[in-house]
Amino acid sequence: MHEYSITTQIVKSVTEEAEKHEAKNVVEVHLVIGDLTFLNPEQVKFWYEVLIESTILEKSRLRIEKKEGRVRCPSCGYEGSFKYIDDPVYHIPFPVLSCPNCEGIVDIVDGKECTIKSIKMVVS
Amino acid sequence: MPVLSLNVKDVVRAEEGEIYDIELDTNILKANQRLADENRRLLRKHRVEAIDVMGSTGSGKTSLIEKMIRILKGRYRIAVFKGDLTTSIDAEIIGRHGVVSVPINTGKECHLDANLVSKAIKSVNLKKIDLLFIENVGNLICPAEFPLGSDKRIVVISVTEGPYMVVKHPFIFMDTNVVAVNKIDLAEAMEVDIERLKQDVRSINPSAVPVKTNCRTGEGVPRVVEALGL
Repeated sequence: MHEYSITTQIVKSVTEEAEKHEAKNVVEVHLVIGDLTFLNPEQVKFWYEVLIESTILEKSRLRIEKKEGRVRCPSCGYEGSFKYIDDPVYHIPFPVLSCPNCEGIVDIVDGKECTIKSIKMVVS
Repeated sequence: MPVLSLNVKDVVRAEEGEIYDIELDTNILKANQRLADENRRLLRKHRVEAIDVMGSTGSGKTSLIEKMIRILKGRYRIAVFKGDLTTSIDAEIIGRHGVVSVPINTGKECHLDANLVSKAIKSVNLKKIDLLFIENVGNLICPAEFPLGSDKRIVVISVTEGPYMVVKHPFIFMDTNVVAVNKIDLAEAMEVDIERLKQDVRSINPSAVPVKTNCRTGEGVPRVVEALGL
C-alpha cells in the first residue's frame, strides 16, 4: 500500500542524486523490493510513469528486482527462505513464521526493504 | 601536458553523453524505521514499556485498554497515545480513568507513524510513566508496515467482523505477540467459530498468543495482561 507516496520518495531520491552528479537525464533505476514489503511492483511502475513526466527521469526505465524473504531460526540455526502455507484460501503461497526445519519460531532477517540499488544516468 | 609523476596517469572521466552507473543502496523505508528505533531508545532509557494496540475499527481496542488500565493502574504509571484521523473522543474516554492520555490526529494518514509518536513522546514526562499503550488508527493493513518503537504488539479483532479477518489480513498477524479475539459473547449469534480464528492466527504466527475476550465485561483481559508479560 502507499505505492504513490513511496514512489514519490523514490523519484525525489533519484532526482537529488542525479542533480548531485549534474546528470543530463536518468536512463535506468534499479529498485529492489523485498517479498514482505507492502508494495505491489505493478503499482509502483504505474505511479513511476506518472511521476517522472517532465522531470530529469523522463523516459527512464524502472527495473524492479524482487528479493526473497529470509528467516533465521534461533532453535536449530536454520537460515534460508520462508516456509509457505499452500492453503487455497490465500490464492497465493503465503509465508509463515515457523521454521521449515524444526517448526520453531523464526526471526525475519531479510525481505522487508525497498532499496534503490543503483542509477544509470547520462552525464552532461 | 605536465605530468606529476611517471606513475600517475591522466585523470579518467566520463565523456559527455557517457552513462554513469551509480551504486546507491538507499532503503526508502529506513526513515520511519530510524525514527522508530529512536523512539524505542528514548522509551527504554526511561524504562517505559510500550505496547502497540492495533485492530480494525470498532473491534474493541479502546475498551481493551480501559479494562487493562483497571487491572494495572495500581502497579504501573500508565499513559496512552490514541491515534485517530480526527477527534479526541477515545482519548477523552481513556483520560477519565485518570491516566495521561494524548490524542494524536493523523489527518489523512491511515496509520500512526514513528514521527507522530515521537512528537507525542516529547509531550509527556517520561520520568512519570512506566507503561505506554499506543492505540493505532482502526486498520488491519497499514499499521503492520510502520513500526513505532514499541516493545510488544497486540492485535484486536472481534467476532462481529466475521470468520475471515485473519486470513484476509495475514501480514499484521505476522508481527504480533498477542491477538485478542473480542466480543465472544456474540460468537453464537454471528455463527463464528472462535477456535478456527485462533487456529488461523497460530498457522501464520506460532508465537502469537490468541486470547478470547469480552471487553465489555472484562472477561479474558487478565489473560491478555499475562500474555503481554505485564
